[in-house]
Amino acid sequence: MSEQVLFWSLSALAVAGALAVVLAREMLRMAFGLGAFLLALAGFFALFGFGFLALAEIFVYVGGVLVLMLFAIMLVHREVPGAPSLQSRHDPVALVSAAGVGALIVMLLRPFVVTAESPAAGGPSLGRVLLSDLLPHFELAGLLLLAALVAVVAVSRGDAE
Amino acid sequence: MSALAVGGALFAIGLYGVLVRRDLVAVLASIEVMIAAPLLLLVSLGAAADGSSRVEAVALLLIVLAAAGAAVGLALVVAIARTARTTRIDELRQVSG
Repeated sequence: MSEQVLFWSLSALAVAGALAVVLAREMLRMAFGLGAFLLALAGFFALFGFGFLALAEIFVYVGGVLVLMLFAIMLVHREVPGAPSLQSRHDPVALVSAAGVGALIVMLLRPFVVTAESPAAGGPSLGRVLLSDLLPHFELAGLLLLAALVAVVAVSRGDAE
Repeated sequence: MSALAVGGALFAIGLYGVLVRRDLVAVLASIEVMIAAPLLLLVSLGAAADGSSRVEAVALLLIVLAAAGAAVGLALVVAIARTARTTRIDELRQVSG
């Protein structure tokens, strides 16, 4: 029962944060909406029994990506007094398309929903899986991180002169 | 089932943001919402399965990949803002077809 309450409050927080990301008219409100959304996502992970995943989500996303996004906002955004800093071109066609894609996802994935809820394992077996079965994927992810790091430096440095 | 509905709704909200936002940083944030929704679906569908630690490992790798993508995207935004003097996608005429 309390799990249901927790699930629906996390859902409300996630949807509210996502709506703030999509609809907010000020840059910082959008960033904080994204933060609320990511925290709600970490809460979902913890609720489903993946405690380590929740921690990783908070470290990587709230601590990394969100701060990076705030840095980018500070670097590139010029405030014009009186005008809303974010604009959207709201369009019923976009609304219908997005809602259609969401409905399609729900319809397509409905047969795969498992009703029997059992607590997830997590913990030490995660490390075993990551360093045995999924070792190539793990190493490839490390390689991709290195490539991304080099790419970020090369792109943001710009031309040499 | 309810997690499936929430994930679908979040993906639709993110997609709407990508379609209607006019600022590159906001489009990137909407893409983050779109990436997170399938992650939620994966975790909610995989929590009840037998190999749940494999699901956790895959979700962890996906978080890492999405973070790398976000970092490169934000670097591109900074580079675009430096050369084009704007981050509004309807003012970036030199990349239009």
